[in-house]
Amino acid sequence: MKANWERIYNGVVKENPAFVLMLGMCPTLAVTTSATNGLGMGLSSLVVLAVSNVVISLLRKVIPDEVRLPAYIVIVASFVTVVELLMQAYMESLYASLGIYIPLIVVNCIILGRAEAFASKNPPVLSLFDGLGMGLGFTLALTLIGAIREVLGAGSLFGYDLPGNFQPIAFFVRAPGAFLVLAVLVAAMNALGIKNRSKKLVEGCDGCCATCATGCENKKEAAQ
Amino acid sequence: MKNLILIIVSTALVNNVVLSQFLGICSFLGVSAQKKASLSLGLAVTAVLTVSSLVAALLYQYALLPLHLEYLKTIVFILVIAALVQMVEMFLKKNAHGVYQSLGIYLPLITTNCAVLGVALTNVQNGYSILESTVAGLGTAVGYTVAIVLLAAIREHIDQEAVPAPFRGAPIVLLCATLMAMAFMGFASLG
Amino acid sequence: MRELLHLSSAPHDRGSLSTKTVMRDVLLALLPTAVLGIWAHGWYAGFIMLVSIAAAVVTEYLFNLATKRGNTIGDASAVVTGLLLALTLPAQVPVYVPVLGAVFAILVVKCLFGGLGHNIMNPALAGRSFLLISFGASMTGYTLDGVSAATPLAEAAAGRSVDVVAMALGNTSGVIGSSALGLLAGGIYLLLSRGITWEIPTATIGSAAAFLALFGGHGLDPAYLVPQLLGGGLLMAAFFMATDPVTGPSTTKGQLLYGALTGVLIGLFRVKGNAADSTTYAVLLANLFGNLIDELFIPVPYGFRIPKEFKKAIPKPVSILLVITLIAGAVLSGVYVTTSDRIARNSERANQAAYRSVVPGAESFRSLELAQETAGTTQIQKVLAGLDGSGQTLGYAIAVHNSQSYDGGLTLVVGILPDGTVTGIHFTELHETAGMGMRCGEPEFTRQFENVNVPAFALGKGTAGGHGTIDSVAGATVSSTAVVDAVNAALAYFAANLK
Repeated sequence: MKANWERIYNGVVKENPAFVLMLGMCPTLAVTTSATNGLGMGLSSLVVLAVSNVVISLLRKVIPDEVRLPAYIVIVASFVTVVELLMQAYMESLYASLGIYIPLIVVNCIILGRAEAFASKNPPVLSLFDGLGMGLGFTLALTLIGAIREVLGAGSLFGYDLPGNFQPIAFFVRAPGAFLVLAVLVAAMNALGIKNRSKKLVEGCDGCCATCATGCENKKEAAQ
Repeated sequence: MKNLILIIVSTALVNNVVLSQFLGICSFLGVSAQKKASLSLGLAVTAVLTVSSLVAALLYQYALLPLHLEYLKTIVFILVIAALVQMVEMFLKKNAHGVYQSLGIYLPLITTNCAVLGVALTNVQNGYSILESTVAGLGTAVGYTVAIVLLAAIREHIDQEAVPAPFRGAPIVLLCATLMAMAFMGFASLG
Repeated sequence: MRELLHLSSAPHDRGSLSTKTVMRDVLLALLPTAVLGIWAHGWYAGFIMLVSIAAAVVTEYLFNLATKRGNTIGDASAVVTGLLLALTLPAQVPVYVPVLGAVFAILVVKCLFGGLGHNIMNPALAGRSFLLISFGASMTGYTLDGVSAATPLAEAAAGRSVDVVAMALGNTSGVIGSSALGLLAGGIYLLLSRGITWEIPTATIGSAAAFLALFGGHGLDPAYLVPQLLGGGLLMAAFFMATDPVTGPSTTKGQLLYGALTGVLIGLFRVKGNAADSTTYAVLLANLFGNLIDELFIPVPYGFRIPKEFKKAIPKPVSILLVITLIAGAVLSGVYVTTSDRIARNSERANQAAYRSVVPGAESFRSLELAQETAGTTQIQKVLAGLDGSGQTLGYAIAVHNSQSYDGGLTLVVGILPDGTVTGIHFTELHETAGMGMRCGEPEFTRQFENVNVPAFALGKGTAGGHGTIDSVAGATVSSTAVVDAVNAALAYFAANLK
C-alpha cells in the first residue's frame, strides 16, 4: 500500500511529467491560456491516464514487443474516443466545457510515456496509482501555468477579473509567452532541487530529462 | 496553384507546427541538440508526414466517408503512420545506418509525434482535397524541419557556462523557443 | 570590438577599440537622432528615452547582484539597448511600455543567455516585438504634436505624397527615432570610427531597395522608393540593429548574405504583409537564420538506394496488432451506434435554442433546401425559415461555418428578417483563444450585429465607419474577421436566394 502512495508522490513531485520529465508539452503549451483550461485538460488527462495505465498493465503480457507502441496508441485512441462519445451523449454540460480537450489527449506523450515506462512492466493496481500520480502532477502543473498566463496576460483568474486596474500583458497568452512561462517554472524547479540533482545522475543520463522520453527508470535499468 | 502556395506558406511559416501550434515539441526539444541529427529527423518527418497526409486523405475520402466510419479516423490514421514509420526505420537501418543510430529513440517516436497525427486530423477538419492535404503535410514538415534545424544551430552557439545555473539545460532551450516563436509571429501578417 | 568579444587564447592583439569605446561611439552616433526626436515629439519623448535607459541599466545591475556576477553596467551596453528601444517607440506610449520592454530586452534576451556577447537576438528589437505583441494599441498609435496621424509609410502606401524633408528631420508621425538625416549621420560616424563595417548596412539597404523596386509595384519611381528607404525603421535597422556583431556572421561573405536576407525580408513584409513592423520582424528572423549562415553546409543525400525487395511474410506481432485493432474498432463501433442517436438529439436541441434566439417568436422551423453550399470562405450549413403559428415566415435562421478563425473554425446562426434586417447572431461553436478570440462570443461584440439592416458588414476601427461597421475584439482581428465573413456569407445567401 505504501508503494501506491509513493507512486502518487512520485507523479506530483519527484517526476512531475510537465516540469521534470518534460512530457506532454504539446497540450501544456497550447491549452494553458487560462487556469480553467489548464484544469480541464489536466483532469481529462488524469482520467484517461489512470484507465489506460490499468488496461495496458492488464494486457502487458499479451502485447508483442515489436508492435507495442502502435498497440498502445490504438488502445488509448479508442478509449479516448469512447470517452468522448459517452460524454457527448450523457454528460452534455461537462462535454461543453471539457470536450474539446479530449481528442488532444490522444497525442499526449505522457500517456504513451507512462505506458511504455511503467504500465507495461508493473501490475495493474500499482499502474493505476502511477497514472493517478502522474495525472495529478500534470493537472497541478497545467493549472499553475494556466493561472500564471491568465493573470499576467488577461488580468483574470478562472474567468474572474482581478481587482485593480493594471494593464494585462498580452504576450503571455500567445505562443512565445507559453514557452517563457514554462522556461521560468522549470528553472525555478531546478533552482529548488538543484542540490538533489547531482546525486541522481547515473550512467548515460545527462540530467536533462527532456532528452529522455521515457523517464529515469529506463536509464537506471540500462545502467545496471 | 496560388491556393497551394498559400497552404505551404501558411503551414510552414504562418502557423508553424512547432512554434505556433505546439505540435511535435518533445522531439523538437530533444533532438535539436545536434544539427545533423536535426536535419535527419526533419527529413524523416518530411517523408512520413507527406506520405501519411496523402494516404490518410485517400483513406478518409474513399473508405471512411462512404462507409460512414468517420469516427474511426483517429485509429486508422495512427496505423498508417505507424506502418510508414516502420518502413522508414527499416530503410534507414539498411541504407544509412549512421543516421539510424544518431536518431535513436526519436525515430520510432515519430509515430507518437503529435504533429503527424495532428496534421492528418486538421486536414479533415479543414475539408482539404487529396492534393491539398498532401501539400499541407509537406508544408507542415518543411516548417518543422526549418524550426528544428534553426534551433539546433542556435543551441550550438549557447555557452552553457554563461547561463545562470537554474536555466541551464531545458529552460534555456525553452527560452530560445520563446524568441523563435516571437520572431515567427512576424509571418502572421503574410497569412 | 569583434576581436574582443570572441574568446580566444593568448596572445591577444588589443586594438584601440574596447567594448566601452564602441558603445560610447554608438551613443554619440545616436545623439543626433535622439535630439531631433525630442525636437519633433516634445520633452515627453526625452523622458521615455531616460526611462528606458534607466530600466535597462537597473535590470542588468539587479540581475548581476542577484546572480552574484560582477557588475557589468560599466560597459554601457545596457544604456545603448535602452536608448535604441526608446527610439523605436511611438512618442505617446504610457510609461510602463518602455519599462517593461527594457526589462524584457535585458533580462530575457540578454542576461539569461549569459550577458553581453551571448544573446541570440537583438535585445532592443526583441523587446520591441514583446511590446508589439503585448500592447498592440499603444504601440501602433502614431502621433505628431499629440494628434494621431498616419505615418509617412502608410501615406505612401495609400498613394499620397510624402514630405521628404520632414522625414529627413524626423518631424513626422512615427517612432521617436525616425529622423532619416540623424540616422544617416550617425551611421556614417559609426562607419568612420569603425564601430561597424560597411557590409551589412550596404547589403541591407541595397537588397531592400532592389526588392521594393522589383516587387513593390512602382518600379524605380523615386516618389515611392525614397520614403520607403528613409522610413519604416530601415535606416535604424541597417546601421544600428542588424550590425550587432553578436547576432550576425563574422565573415565578409556571410555578412553580405545576412544583410541581403534582412533587406529581402523587410521588402517582403512591406509588400506582402503589414508594413508597420516589417523591419522589427525582418531583423529578428535574420538573427535566427544568421546562426546558420556562418556555417553553411549542403546536406549530402544519404546514399539513396532503392531496397531490392519489400515483401515479407506477415509476422506474428503484426497479426496480434491487427486483432487488437479489430477488437478496438468493434468496441468503438458499438459505442458509436449506441450513442449516436443521443448525440444527434443533443446537438439538435442546442441548434434549436440557437434558432429560437435569432428568430424570436417563431413557433417552428422548416428546413429549406440549400441553393448553394459555400459563400466565399464560409460554409452554409443550414437554412431554416422560422414560422409563426399560422405558417407565415417570421424570419430566417442561417447556420454558417467559417474555418478561417484563429483556432480551427467557428459556427454561428444568423437571424435575418424578410426585409433583410439582421436580428443578431448566436454561436454554436467557438473555440478561440481565451480572453481574445473568445470575446467574440460576448454580448459586447455580438450586439453590434443586432437589428442592423445592411447588405454586408465591415470591420472598422472606432465608430467612424457608421452603420454596419463592426469594432473588432482588441487583439483578435483574425477571429473577428472570421465572424464578419460568416455573417456576410449568410447575408449574401439571403440576398441571392431568399429575398
